[in-house]
Amino acid sequence: MTRRAGKRAVPDPAAFPTRPYDLVKEFTIALVVVALLTAGLAAVFSSPDVKPVTLASWSRADGADFTATAVSELGGTSGTAQYGPPYNHTPGAAQKLGPVGLQSAAGVRVPVDTANDFVLRPLRNAPEPPAVSAGLAAWTAAPAARRQAWTSAYSDALAKAGGGAPAKGDYGPVPVLIARLLGLARSGALDGELQAEGKFYQTDYTRPLLFLSDGSYLESRARAEHLGGDQWGMMNETGNYPGQAWLWLYTFWYQIEPFKSSGNADALIWGLMALLSLGLMLVPFIPGVRSVPRWTRVHRLIWRTYYREQAVERNSQE
Amino acid sequence: MTGHAHSVERVLSPPIDLNGTGRYVHWGVVQLSVANLVVIGVMLVVFVAALLLPFPRGRGRR
Repeated sequence: MTRRAGKRAVPDPAAFPTRPYDLVKEFTIALVVVALLTAGLAAVFSSPDVKPVTLASWSRADGADFTATAVSELGGTSGTAQYGPPYNHTPGAAQKLGPVGLQSAAGVRVPVDTANDFVLRPLRNAPEPPAVSAGLAAWTAAPAARRQAWTSAYSDALAKAGGGAPAKGDYGPVPVLIARLLGLARSGALDGELQAEGKFYQTDYTRPLLFLSDGSYLESRARAEHLGGDQWGMMNETGNYPGQAWLWLYTFWYQIEPFKSSGNADALIWGLMALLSLGLMLVPFIPGVRSVPRWTRVHRLIWRTYYREQAVERNSQE
Repeated sequence: MTGHAHSVERVLSPPIDLNGTGRYVHWGVVQLSVANLVVIGVMLVVFVAALLLPFPRGRGRR
């Protein structure tokens, strides 16, 4: 490789003096120090201890919100029912990055039919009182438009009642089914039903969490802890514990336009962060940016003793 | 039994309990928890210290 005239030649690294360095010793010291710090800080500050929000605790604390959400799950109008991939094929719901449909690209990998998975199947799996059996039979026999009319009318009546008893109307079996589901939820049975995976250890919380996130109770609890997306929630933790401060840039974009009001915010911000990460990886190849360390001269501060000795040597030679 | 459980809980409970209502500072569009601010401050102090503190000199070195 030829070098342009006027530039100093790069010295041969093998010509520099060497000194022994014990990497294992440094690793061991770092491990012990970090272990002591972790144990010490855990003993002094403990850890976040917020009781988990479950379908049982939600239905007991805010039965009206649970009921309204369950009706939207049965009617297929909830956030999950209309989310699109990876849960279902809702036309036009998926986020895009320009012409690229990122959300659709992976397809429906976790199929969720909210009416069956969140309402009808748990009702069928639990012991059925006669009224519920009749309600399930009426629901199954009704055409789709009729079911839609029942859930829509009941949903409107619940909204008008504002948490009280809804006015009488033609809601079909919906009130009976939802009341039974509320009872199952309050007993804790619904959490188990939605989590049942047929394995010994049941660790998949996807379905209960989707059901919870369709209501307003979980969001209000999260917002009270500053965990909302528009509250820089990505970098926060509950209580007075520090959170993920390193996610400041990722969450920052959600606070400003055009991302703040965009329906494609997740895809757009992912794309922007991918672009910025690529820029960070390519710093050595970007003219100007790659010269910042040379301009800031921080390395001369770190290795100040060496540069001081170099200056003394140079002066003594002159 | 309950009294014993309470005394064990008291002994094992941390001296500083950070559970409770979080404190946040608002500055325009920025919302930052005081806890995160403290951690960021500590990181800056460690960074500056790493720049300014002299390297330890082992035996046999200059």
